[in-house]
Amino acid sequence: MKKALLLLLVAAISVIQAHAQTRPITGKVTDAKDGAPLFGVTVKIKNTNTGTTTNAEGKFSLNVTGNPVLEFTFVGFTTKEVASAGKSNIDIKLGADEKALSEVVVIAYGTTKKGSNTSATTQIDSKKFATRAISNIATALDGAAPGIQTNAGSGQPGDGPAIRIRGFGSVNASSDPLYVVDGVPYSGNLSSLNVADIESISVLKDASSSSLYGSRAANGVIIVTTKKGKNGRNQLQVNAIQGFNTRGIPEYNRVNAKEYYPLLWEAQRNALVTGGTALDVANRRASGLVAGAKGIKDLLGYNPFNVADNAIVGVDGKLNPNAELLYPDDLDWEKAVTRTGARGEYGINYSGGTEKTDYFASLNYLSDKGYVINSDFQRISGRINVNTQATDWFRTGVNLSGTFVKSNQTDVTSSTSYVNPIFFARNIGPIYPVYQHDATGAYILDKNGERIYDIGGSRGANASPGRNAVAENLLNDNSFTRNVLSGRTFGEVTFLKDFKFTTNISVDVANYRANTYWNTVVGDGAPAGLGGRTSTQTTSYTLNQLLNYNKTFGPHTIGVLLGHENYDQTASSLYGERQSQVILGNSELYNFTTTNNLYSYKRQYRTEGYFSRVNYDYDEKYFVSAAFRRDGTSRFYKDNRWGNFYSVGAGWRMDKENFIHNVSWINMLKFRSSYGTAGNDAVIDVDANPIYYAWQSLYKLGYNNALEPGVFFTKLGNPAIQWESNKSFDIGVDFAILDNRLTGSVEYFNRRSDNLLFDLPLPLSSGISTQTTNVGSMVNRGVELQLTGEIFRTKNFGWTADLNLSTFKNELTKLPQPEIINSTKKLSVGHSIYDYWLRDWYGVDPDDGAALYVAGNPTGAGVRTMKNGDVVTTNINNAKYHYAGSAIPDLYGSINNTFSYKQFQLSFLISFQLGGKVYDATYASLMNAGSYGNALSTDILKRWQKPGDITDVPRMDQSQTTNFNAATSDRWLTDASFLNFRSVKLGYTVPEAFAKKAHMRAANVFLSGENLALFSARKGMNVAQAFTGVTSNVYMPARIISAGLNITL
Amino acid sequence: MKRILYIFIAFAVSGASLTSCKKDYLNTSPTEAIEEGQVFTDTKGGWAALNGIHRAMYSAYDNQDQTGQSTIMIDGDMLGEDLVMTSAGNGWFNASYQWTMHRNTSATHLKFVYYFYYRIIANANKIINQIDGVSGNDADKKAIKGEALTYRAWAHYMLVQLFGARYDAAKKPNNQAGVPLQTKFTIEPQPRATVEAVYTQINKDLNDALTNLTGYSRAAKSHFDSVVVYGLKARVALTMQDWSGAATNAEVVINKGGYSLMSNTDYVKGFNSAENAEWIWASRPTDDQTTAFNGFFAYMSVNFSSSNIRSNPKAINKNLYAYLTATDIRSQLWDSTGKKFTVPTADFKKYPYMNQKFIAKGASSSVGDVPYMRLAEMYLIDAEAKAQLGQEGNAADALYTLAHNRDVNYVKSSNTGQALKDEIAIQRRLELWGEGFRFFDLKRQNLPVDRSGSNHDAALALVLKVPAGGVNWQWLFPQDEVNANPKLEQNPL
Repeated sequence: MKKALLLLLVAAISVIQAHAQTRPITGKVTDAKDGAPLFGVTVKIKNTNTGTTTNAEGKFSLNVTGNPVLEFTFVGFTTKEVASAGKSNIDIKLGADEKALSEVVVIAYGTTKKGSNTSATTQIDSKKFATRAISNIATALDGAAPGIQTNAGSGQPGDGPAIRIRGFGSVNASSDPLYVVDGVPYSGNLSSLNVADIESISVLKDASSSSLYGSRAANGVIIVTTKKGKNGRNQLQVNAIQGFNTRGIPEYNRVNAKEYYPLLWEAQRNALVTGGTALDVANRRASGLVAGAKGIKDLLGYNPFNVADNAIVGVDGKLNPNAELLYPDDLDWEKAVTRTGARGEYGINYSGGTEKTDYFASLNYLSDKGYVINSDFQRISGRINVNTQATDWFRTGVNLSGTFVKSNQTDVTSSTSYVNPIFFARNIGPIYPVYQHDATGAYILDKNGERIYDIGGSRGANASPGRNAVAENLLNDNSFTRNVLSGRTFGEVTFLKDFKFTTNISVDVANYRANTYWNTVVGDGAPAGLGGRTSTQTTSYTLNQLLNYNKTFGPHTIGVLLGHENYDQTASSLYGERQSQVILGNSELYNFTTTNNLYSYKRQYRTEGYFSRVNYDYDEKYFVSAAFRRDGTSRFYKDNRWGNFYSVGAGWRMDKENFIHNVSWINMLKFRSSYGTAGNDAVIDVDANPIYYAWQSLYKLGYNNALEPGVFFTKLGNPAIQWESNKSFDIGVDFAILDNRLTGSVEYFNRRSDNLLFDLPLPLSSGISTQTTNVGSMVNRGVELQLTGEIFRTKNFGWTADLNLSTFKNELTKLPQPEIINSTKKLSVGHSIYDYWLRDWYGVDPDDGAALYVAGNPTGAGVRTMKNGDVVTTNINNAKYHYAGSAIPDLYGSINNTFSYKQFQLSFLISFQLGGKVYDATYASLMNAGSYGNALSTDILKRWQKPGDITDVPRMDQSQTTNFNAATSDRWLTDASFLNFRSVKLGYTVPEAFAKKAHMRAANVFLSGENLALFSARKGMNVAQAFTGVTSNVYMPARIISAGLNITL
Repeated sequence: MKRILYIFIAFAVSGASLTSCKKDYLNTSPTEAIEEGQVFTDTKGGWAALNGIHRAMYSAYDNQDQTGQSTIMIDGDMLGEDLVMTSAGNGWFNASYQWTMHRNTSATHLKFVYYFYYRIIANANKIINQIDGVSGNDADKKAIKGEALTYRAWAHYMLVQLFGARYDAAKKPNNQAGVPLQTKFTIEPQPRATVEAVYTQINKDLNDALTNLTGYSRAAKSHFDSVVVYGLKARVALTMQDWSGAATNAEVVINKGGYSLMSNTDYVKGFNSAENAEWIWASRPTDDQTTAFNGFFAYMSVNFSSSNIRSNPKAINKNLYAYLTATDIRSQLWDSTGKKFTVPTADFKKYPYMNQKFIAKGASSSVGDVPYMRLAEMYLIDAEAKAQLGQEGNAADALYTLAHNRDVNYVKSSNTGQALKDEIAIQRRLELWGEGFRFFDLKRQNLPVDRSGSNHDAALALVLKVPAGGVNWQWLFPQDEVNANPKLEQNPL
């Protein structure tokens, strides 16, 4: 310490001396490529904080003492050092040629240069997504890099897709990556982050990069870094995007009213025949010609035609040729639940900095109206990020952001609830009107002259009788507000020259309030009215202390990090629900008479960790790093809660070796490899909500018997559960060749998950259905390829193409029992977690149109022997189950092309996957054999009708819907390959000269489109909806077309 | 500067230790549940665990057609011929009505029924296994244990009737496969015990329950006391064709239970209040335990404003209704014209023979007490058992007490032999309509379902006749049980 103090003193004296002998140096910095002046380049005396920046002409002027070395740094360009000895004017060119290598990459608890990085990290800079109309940052990750898999996500305004990195790491624990925002684990909602505030997103894919996050890093880490001001670059930016939302995936092709009635007639007629009624009687009954017996009109409830109820379908099964629709314009429910939504985003930010202090402030407003009625999302967000070098040795900063979100949500919580407009509109038969009509087909109007919603009490049983999703979504309230306040601050002390001690403190507070109201006219609240309020406050604190040591001596550079971190998240929730509204128009709980529900709870999650990392490099040629973390979590029993995680990594810059250095076409060649472990403690329930107390056997409160207190055994604990652990190995090559025109990387990973946290299904007869257990092992191994080619690089025209390809194989390698069957999947060693286990569909019997399955028991129920000897069954309970393919694609990836021509830029991103299968459950519901009132796919027109018909669609027969439409049969599997025009941008940069005249530094106008076209095996199929491959009635992604403007002053 | 530095570091480090170095920093506990160990510390916890089971009887589970015992009561009538669906409504219970639900191993409703009873058994076993060791007075412990034993017996009884082959007194021991028998809480897969073994355990549990419940006076009709246990013993004996056992136990309830048949005025009040003098065992939800669209009255009442009730009021088989005389108070429970009943709004569809036996508290509240055992059933058991025993005079007497209460003009039966048995059966069907007995009665008596020639519509029912004794009378085990229990053998398909 004494020595250090002495050193400090010497330095201080030398600074004082220096003042006496200054001299000016001037110069100009230009772009090596085209000679254009570079504005905002930092010119600094090496190893000091003294410096300046270049002006708009690229010129600078700096006073120096002696003959220091000047350092020129500029984002995206190679840093250059120039000796000033004997010079008073220094003109230099900065080259972007080694751009890829000098780029700063954000990693765990710090940054590194891309060229020195030994881990599988992908960084996505803001310019990749800056002009896209995205409300949720996760959307920007689709197709951004290999190894990142996204699902289609929800189109509900504000929502984004789910992300999986390098396969699927968990079965019943969460497979979501850990999000880190500005250095701190983030458990808030991603939609609370303003995309325009984000500078970069780093995706840490392998253990060597992520294991420093220990307990929660098993599924990869996504680090979001918000913007900062830049020294000497004071600027004001204004941006505006205006666009509109429409449905991104079209509806399935469904039969129309005239096709529908005869089909359902056939379903009834055949059901009667199956039940033993004679054919001619059945024909007459279905046509409604037998008095006292229900005909097809009685079963469907509605006659939308201008003919008598018993004359709609003749005994020949054909629609009455005179039948015309009474209200053909009122049968389109899809049109009734959708609209063209408007999306607007407006922002302003200003930033800048001096040598010692930088600042960034922003304000942004987003209004996103969804394409489904009554769904919208409004967000107002602000951020202030100020950092200052307070003294030579102390640096501190504050990054504060506040967000206010207000949103109406379409109720799609349950795939098949009546109030779900997607379900309702898709499945209601084409003969039911949205509004009421009189006998002539004219709209019935209320006393204000408005159309009256048709509640349809007498619709067919499968046409949501008594409900109307259009009316319900307009009359109900399903909304929330969320206020988020995030604060990050740090103090950083530099001491003893090579040491830096940092402490980070962060607080995230989210206040969420949801309003629910079910109206008095139709639906779950009718006739009395029902109101609910949820209030949840989530507070998380993170506190960490980091000690960094960095030292370079000769060719050796060593970096050591020691740290401690603890995290505390508390969620407090209150829910109340009351019934019987007093006066209309007020849905506050006061305005009801009876309390149905009232409860509150608090949930707490805490972790604590100690960690360390050591980096060493020799001559920027050989790199090694090692990291260790010890983590404890509140989610496990005290004896099992601590886990140790570590990683090692190495890199070799081969291009720096002499034997390659001279190979002119190789610009960079780096080998890297790593191995490490990370953990997962995120036990979740079937709805993906976290389970905080999985190890404890619990009796649930709220089981009071009238007024007597009661509790019920609902959770079998398991004190033995512990960390699910991930062991990953990674080896890769990064390269830049042909004058840096082709860059890329290829890597192989092998990621093994052990001690899988699993909700082991128990016999129902034990009285408890699952127990959380660490049961098995799973491997994800795959290959990733990333290529970027600058195909054209001329003065006026440029074309860059990126290609990302990923393929991986997921395989269970150890299970405690031979097989675990879970819905449409069966887990067994040698298979993936998403291998389908389904009834083996055989086809349709040409003789009678029955649905056939391969028989499980050849002498069992419903068995038939086909002419070719195959033993099949018509009884689904005797259908054989078998492995029927996987939901995991063989290959997925993206292609991104960027063209520039003079002032124009055009880029488009195509994402795709090949192979894998979708279990199209929503399609299955449209292929029913005659559920009265349920809509039908046009594929049903290929049904079996008479002996000898060769088809794969069974006969219409309402009595056989269970057997013919058996869920969990491979009849519903479809190829999951798709090609998605994910995003297109066309931009125009206003010429500099012109901008200057308008007192602007830069201006850019653009057009962009999201989800422009999806090509898949079936129209309507939401092919990438879920990683499990199973479709349901969800809010599908939106197509967003927008125009925008960006101005920098 | 050095000092500032030290102060800063010290501050930062101590800040860390303040929040985290406490030993219990990582110990967190739930607030919406209680750890099992804390439940079984004293009798207060034991009572709470028991009341939880009472509550589970009318809790709503995963779906709208999964509300405790009331759901299975509805199934019991859906499978029979006495309850008529007037339309398909909005689809609920159609598969039960059409005899497909319980024969579809993937049906979520089937899984619910099976799992529901085993959850009750698991909760009862937890109590039975642990209550002796808790602090508190012995009287409480005995009462808690007695009630838990009753639940275990009753749940096994329901399961074996549904999933096992019919009990046949003529071929004792009944070695056909029954259901897994759980006498302690375990997650080990259990094979199916024989029907005989299951009934043996049921009777043992009921007898043990009686020992424990003797002298205990219960807090509410949702609880079990010795009278309910006698009633259950009578039911079980009837199912086992143990006629004397059935009569003896039914008589205990009739003579010593302290219940009396309800007045005709009470009879038409809607079967929704456990205050009723002849209700012996019932669930009693409070207003804030609303079952909304799930509960019994959401499917069976005349007036609750659910899509199901509005479009599909439940009716009685017109052939059964024909047995009612004009002076029989029960004739007022159904409307053969389909026009008379008052319904809340014009949206409510009316059909001939629809019922108003069950009346919900209001169009917007499906809350109502659900009857599980009434004194009337005991008279019917007594009469049936005595008729089977050949004590025809006593049988007619027992029947008269009940039938005369319902119809002042009822004349004591002079029927004998099969005619008397048939008359008792008709009275039973009329009296217990809608209370979930029909499937169980048909199965224990080895009778067919015959819905033909009535107001059942073939297009809705699909199945008009089911012959007696076939494989379809055994419910299939849900696929989830088959998947997780390698020792369990599925019923014949």
